[in-house]
Amino acid sequence: MVRFEKRENTPVSLKFIIPLVSVLIGLLIGAVAIAVKGINPFKVYHALLIGAFSSKYTFSETLVAATPLILISAGLILVFKMNFWNIGAYGQYIMGAIFSSYFALFWSPNVPKPVMLTIMVLAGMVGGALWAIIPAMLKAFWEVNEVISTLLLNYIALFILKFLMYGTWRDPSSHGFPLSKPFPDNAQLPRIIYHTRVNLGLIFGIIAVIVVWFILKKTKFGYEIAVIGENPRAARYAGMDVAKNIIIAMAISGALAGLAGMVQVSGIIHLLQIKINPDYGYTAIIVAWLSYLDPIAAAFVSVFLGGLASGASQIQITMRVPFGIVNVIESVILFALIGSEIFMKYRVKFDFGKRKKINKQEDIL
Amino acid sequence: MNASHHLIIIALLFAAVQSGTILLFPTIGEIFTERSGVMNLGVEGMMIMGAFFGFVVAYETKNPYLGFLAGMLAGGLTSLIHAFVSITLRGNQVVSGLALTIFGLGFTNFYGQKWINLKLTTTPSQISIPLLSKIPYIGPIFFKQDALVYTSYIFAIVMWFILYKTKVGVHLRAVGQNARASDAMGVNVYATRYWWTFFGGLLAGAGGAYLTIAYAPFWLDGMTAGRGWIALALVIFAMWDPLNAMIGAYLFGGIDALQLQLQAIGVTIPSSLLNMLPYLLTLIVIIVATLIVRVKHISAPKELGTPYNREEK
Repeated sequence: MVRFEKRENTPVSLKFIIPLVSVLIGLLIGAVAIAVKGINPFKVYHALLIGAFSSKYTFSETLVAATPLILISAGLILVFKMNFWNIGAYGQYIMGAIFSSYFALFWSPNVPKPVMLTIMVLAGMVGGALWAIIPAMLKAFWEVNEVISTLLLNYIALFILKFLMYGTWRDPSSHGFPLSKPFPDNAQLPRIIYHTRVNLGLIFGIIAVIVVWFILKKTKFGYEIAVIGENPRAARYAGMDVAKNIIIAMAISGALAGLAGMVQVSGIIHLLQIKINPDYGYTAIIVAWLSYLDPIAAAFVSVFLGGLASGASQIQITMRVPFGIVNVIESVILFALIGSEIFMKYRVKFDFGKRKKINKQEDIL
Repeated sequence: MNASHHLIIIALLFAAVQSGTILLFPTIGEIFTERSGVMNLGVEGMMIMGAFFGFVVAYETKNPYLGFLAGMLAGGLTSLIHAFVSITLRGNQVVSGLALTIFGLGFTNFYGQKWINLKLTTTPSQISIPLLSKIPYIGPIFFKQDALVYTSYIFAIVMWFILYKTKVGVHLRAVGQNARASDAMGVNVYATRYWWTFFGGLLAGAGGAYLTIAYAPFWLDGMTAGRGWIALALVIFAMWDPLNAMIGAYLFGGIDALQLQLQAIGVTIPSSLLNMLPYLLTLIVIIVATLIVRVKHISAPKELGTPYNREEK
């Protein structure tokens, strides 16, 4: 018989073993999915590894994909800690990209570069924060389900972007393609590694991780977040303003997602278009969970999932393996991870043998 | 109004029912899943699985009804992942539901490439119901539809009856309100939750299959386009009642049909804004519905999202 026995305390090693095993299960089921399609999974994984980590350039592309994940997941950790389900990083990222692009497109290219970039960073953060405050206030004051509201706001943000790109923000010389005119030099984030697309955004990400770590470990606000997440009722009794905390945490989370959107347009694409990869907003949710809501672990997990995404976008072209395989692998990792949480709280006991022994003793008696 | 205006309005409402059917199936399904205390946010993922398998089977067999059943089954099987993770392993239901959505979208993208833009040649034919289809306005809107739409009416009515008038419904509601007490009364909490989660998956699959088999008989990557999330909002709008779900589904079907109609006649509003309309209105509706639910003291099933552990006291 299989029985679950409550653990007194969770061994720390499980916090490493479970995510690792989850990743292995994800890759294993991914391999089966690839094999079913008649493709050799070993070749695919080999190409994926080469495409993500083999050379200076491919690794730099992994870092490029990891940057938005680092920024967004750092913010998500804050709100997830208080059990607020921000699924809206996708939309907040888009709003950040739109707000910052406004200055790049409509302000003079003669504004000094540091001034312009500072304004764009702030604009991106404000755009993301505003888009995040809407569901935060709806939840805090009216208890509107934030999963649904943040998701709907993602679609609304996407259509606002489409509206602009097919409308007044489209470059007249783009031959009808939904692209803005290219950003002038003063609106482009400087690159920090020569001959790669790695830019200042990576530094922003590292700063964000440190700030979030500091908030969680060293501030009253971080303490309140933890208490609200553990037991909102106790937090209210203790006199904590839950509504205020939700709104502030969501503003920070949205601001970081918005900054990620700004980094993408200003540091990578150098223009605004419909395809700015807001899906990072969903991938960052997986990053946050795989790292057990630890901002420093999340930075490393971001590099791993960034590599998976960057490698996969290459094999999509070279081996014609659709990108969806990454989502299949990611979702299986998530299932395995949250399904295994039970092992952190309980010990599995196989006590079939014991019973038999007891029965034998009874026979003797 | 002259005769042609009548025709346009009837055609619009006819389309509203069809578009609403895509939402009605999953909304009813999720109502029952949530009533049992399980929150499955993976409706979008189950719908896209239903849409894909429904399309593929309908395309290969040239039989839309077989396709519809295959779509239902695909949605149901997908839901079992969520059931296992959240009921047996007691994992976080929000994350599991999201994972289910990521899984469905990824799976159909990965295997769906060779079907993209293929079209079905046989779609469900329209059947006029004798007598009922003769009723002015109501008849041509509701009773000249296809068999799958009629199936959705039957589901709404029968499921309402089951929920409120049968022992099965009493047990289901009891499990969602107080699992421990129902267990003490002899109701199998785990089996109840497994079955209604599976049922929710079947109906989500049905909604997706209706999309690719009847409403838009072709396959495109990610073509459910967020309808799963709208269905989740409609569950709250319907206050967990299958008949109210009909009102909500047709209201949104109407908005969808209207924005398509406006685009077709070429109004000057940009299409991106018209496309945004259903999502924007869903947001407004869910705010209003949440406020009404609070004022009327109707609440979500009390155990919603809480895993049950028989051994823990």
